[in-house]
Amino acid sequence: MNNKPKIGVYVCHCGINIAKTVDVNTVTEFASHLPNVKVARNYSYMCSDPGQLLIREDIKNEGLNRVVVASCSPRMHELTFRKTLAEAGLNPYYLEMANIREQCSWVHEEGERATGKAKKLVAAAVSKVRLLEPLQEKEVDVEPATLIIGGGIAGIQAALDIANAGFKVYLVEKTPSVGGRMSQLDKTFPTLDCSACILTPKMVDVASHPNIELFTYSQVEEVSGFVGNFQVKVRKKARYVDVDKCTGCGACAQECRLSGRIPSEFDVGMGKRAAIYLPFPQAVPAKYTIDSQRCLFLTRGKCGKSPKCVDACAAGAINFEQKDEIAEFKVGAIIVATGFDVFDASRKPEYGYNDYVNVITSLELERLVSASGPTGGSVMIGTGEDASVPREIAFIKCVGSRDKSVGNEYCSRVCCMYTAKLAHLVEEKIPGANVRVYYMDVRAFGKGFEEFYDRVRREGIRYIRGNPSEIFKRGDKLVIKVENTLTSTPMEDEVDLVVLGVGLEPRKDAREIIDLLRLSQSADRFFLEAHPKLAPVDTATDGVFLAGCAQGPKDIPDTVAQAKGAASSALVLLSSGRVKVQAQISFVNEATCRGCGFCVEICPYGAIELVTVNRMGHQVSVARVNEALCKGCGACAAGCLSGSVQQKSFMDRQILPQIAVLGGMR
Amino acid sequence: MVDLEKLKTAARETVSRDDVKYLIGWRQGTYGFRVSPHFVKEPEEAEKLIFSPLCTNNLATYLVLTERLPLPRGEQPDSRKVALMVKGCDSRAVVQQLIEQGIKRESVLIIGCPCEGVIDLKKVEEKFPHLPGPAQARWSNGNIVFHLPDGDKEVPKGEVLAAKCLSCRYPNPVMTDLMLWEEVQTRGNDEYDDITELEAKSPQERWLFWEDKFSSCIRCYSCRNVCPMCYCEDCVLDRLNPAWVFRSNNISENTAFHLARAFHLAGRCIECGECERVCPVGIPLMKLNRKLAKEVKEKYEYIPGLDPESKPLQSSYRPDDKEDFIL
Repeated sequence: MNNKPKIGVYVCHCGINIAKTVDVNTVTEFASHLPNVKVARNYSYMCSDPGQLLIREDIKNEGLNRVVVASCSPRMHELTFRKTLAEAGLNPYYLEMANIREQCSWVHEEGERATGKAKKLVAAAVSKVRLLEPLQEKEVDVEPATLIIGGGIAGIQAALDIANAGFKVYLVEKTPSVGGRMSQLDKTFPTLDCSACILTPKMVDVASHPNIELFTYSQVEEVSGFVGNFQVKVRKKARYVDVDKCTGCGACAQECRLSGRIPSEFDVGMGKRAAIYLPFPQAVPAKYTIDSQRCLFLTRGKCGKSPKCVDACAAGAINFEQKDEIAEFKVGAIIVATGFDVFDASRKPEYGYNDYVNVITSLELERLVSASGPTGGSVMIGTGEDASVPREIAFIKCVGSRDKSVGNEYCSRVCCMYTAKLAHLVEEKIPGANVRVYYMDVRAFGKGFEEFYDRVRREGIRYIRGNPSEIFKRGDKLVIKVENTLTSTPMEDEVDLVVLGVGLEPRKDAREIIDLLRLSQSADRFFLEAHPKLAPVDTATDGVFLAGCAQGPKDIPDTVAQAKGAASSALVLLSSGRVKVQAQISFVNEATCRGCGFCVEICPYGAIELVTVNRMGHQVSVARVNEALCKGCGACAAGCLSGSVQQKSFMDRQILPQIAVLGGMR
Repeated sequence: MVDLEKLKTAARETVSRDDVKYLIGWRQGTYGFRVSPHFVKEPEEAEKLIFSPLCTNNLATYLVLTERLPLPRGEQPDSRKVALMVKGCDSRAVVQQLIEQGIKRESVLIIGCPCEGVIDLKKVEEKFPHLPGPAQARWSNGNIVFHLPDGDKEVPKGEVLAAKCLSCRYPNPVMTDLMLWEEVQTRGNDEYDDITELEAKSPQERWLFWEDKFSSCIRCYSCRNVCPMCYCEDCVLDRLNPAWVFRSNNISENTAFHLARAFHLAGRCIECGECERVCPVGIPLMKLNRKLAKEVKEKYEYIPGLDPESKPLQSSYRPDDKEDFIL
């Protein structure tokens, strides 16, 4: 076979995206005189069918064996053009892209110099494409199972969809029950459905589905491997209760010496629980868990003469000897649905959340208005004999959202509507109550949202535009200091109860997931999607998808929609059953490798190991790449001091001529 | 206090061992204040060993320069240990070599010589030029006493010590198998004052500074060859295909050479100053190395050559690494 390079150069106009700034005709003319270039053409959209046809025809008719496409970023269309080459019978890795859009026309204004830069980029690509070698893509089987981290509504929905499609799901939830934040809510906006009523059936389905293996009170400890073949290690924390025996009768919790003395996480501290507890009545699984941080027997080794829960349990389910267990399994895809934390209101000290009992957060109010909540659904301030029903109630929105001073510039997207919903519920529960809402803007953007906001205002809830500066106590009342920004009047408002509309924040333990799965964060610290528009559920790590508020604040319908999207993305992988492994992987020149092991340490995929080889009678250790694990990131090649690790298609001898052209040396 | 007899006894005992190939130490050079490395294979050769303010050389280089000649089939390589005398700075080179698996712990015996600082030969030769024969020196109560033909001359340390010793943080070997005498007091808290002047310059001024220095480089590669951290069997800077650095001696290629050399040492340079010491044209290489060492220390809280169990800088990623320098 004649290996003399015959290069075709294709310059894309990208409509006017490139052609407006770069003189594509000049670039094409310039390219046609470059060494080994047989054909140089330009076309309005190279990625279009006729554009690709041009390349295919030239490969056939002109005998091209190398192709340079000067268009957009390879992240955009490298795969497109690789396919074009393959369809014409050429090895797809004989392609080099010159990015004259993102790195040239979009960032420059002046035509002549932009054209000059485009010429250089094309010349550099031509000098590299000559040196490229054909590569073979390998395929590996996909493990037909999915790991879902987080058992909130996002995780539940994704799990059900995948399981219903006939694939195995491992659903891992950190707390003792699935349900997540949605289970804490009373009603949902704008339809006012009962949150628990629509969620509980799904929770039960998840637990009983034959294709779903549910790990509650468990944590993912380790993930290794790559798309299609992840190895997962899950720690099942000891509940100290035998779940097979526990009937969920609750006798243990009633008898527990700490009964009613530990703030309940589920009720965000508004209610109390025992040391052995069911987080909430509808919890799934309906199995009790002993809080090992609080239980007298587990912390002090002694609980009266004998632990009361043990005596109370007729099923004999309590087992203080229980140990954490490790479960290991393989999955092909991973969905991260770890949810959010609500903003910690004590970070806005001017609102006195830490100082006054009658300043509460919206999530706390959510528990108060809930029929299954600590007060049975009545809105009360204080406890016991001091408890009173508030008459004058104020909501403050955007607490911890749209606020640079606490580092959250983003809008939490749900506060406007949940405030309207809670205001409506409070008005309904307390006849004659005066409810007002202090707001910066009202963003009622979703289906039925504006109508609901209108309805709430018609019900007599006053919306006052202003961002309160301070809350302090005067007598029995709280005074809100605020300027009405519509009338520019400073005012003081005396109320009985202040509800802070707290925003959504990334979870405090998000770092664990980032380290586990090598995810990135966007500026708002939520997990970063692969592309904000075209790949909103994918991540930069192949085979790992995002669902729900872990990716950014959303309401329930959006969360469910994204969960279904993530499920279908995972299903694409699972049902195709095969995944291509990276062909542009790295390899080691064992003759020059000095075995320092830098690459082994650097490799984020654990794809390199040191092996001992015989070098002229001496046993020396050298690095070796596991081709199935290598993702072609090139970190090893960059870190290798002796240049012994090289990445295919990015070898020193391939990129040096490219750099030389860019530097004007050739 | 330096105890030469103890040193020689220890050396004799060491080379008598069956599992020791040889010992590397220092001996009097052939003229002036020069000192040579001394390879002790037989016990009687230990007599020539010295340890004095003149022992500037970092002998750790010899650990990794050993040539591995092809072995006839069936023959086993000599796996005996090499014993090495180290000052504080030299010991960090050994530790860094261990981190990088350049040597194996079981193949080296580290003999520690706590050090009160070694001389800068240029400063000393300026003070005492034209010596007829070899001369010696010793430490004495914070001063250095030079034994000259016309009698002893005592000089305050500050006047003749090498720059690296004036602000030395590690005068005592950080890892040894045998410490020859009691440890000495740490002298300085290195604040990298020597590079602040250069750092304060504008990029253009800095460029002119280095252009001036690099243009005098004769590309003898002494800096690379003496460096205990430069021991790739096949150096990228020597390679012809692809040639990262062409052989022509001009400002462009010289700069490429020096930048590559410095960057290859980022997070690895243990600041022994050998490169600058051996440079025949006086390029202030340590300014470059120490700028990188300072960055590495400040940005990643990483100091190379201290803990043989630690990971190399490149893989010492921590989630809370500073990112303020990323554009």
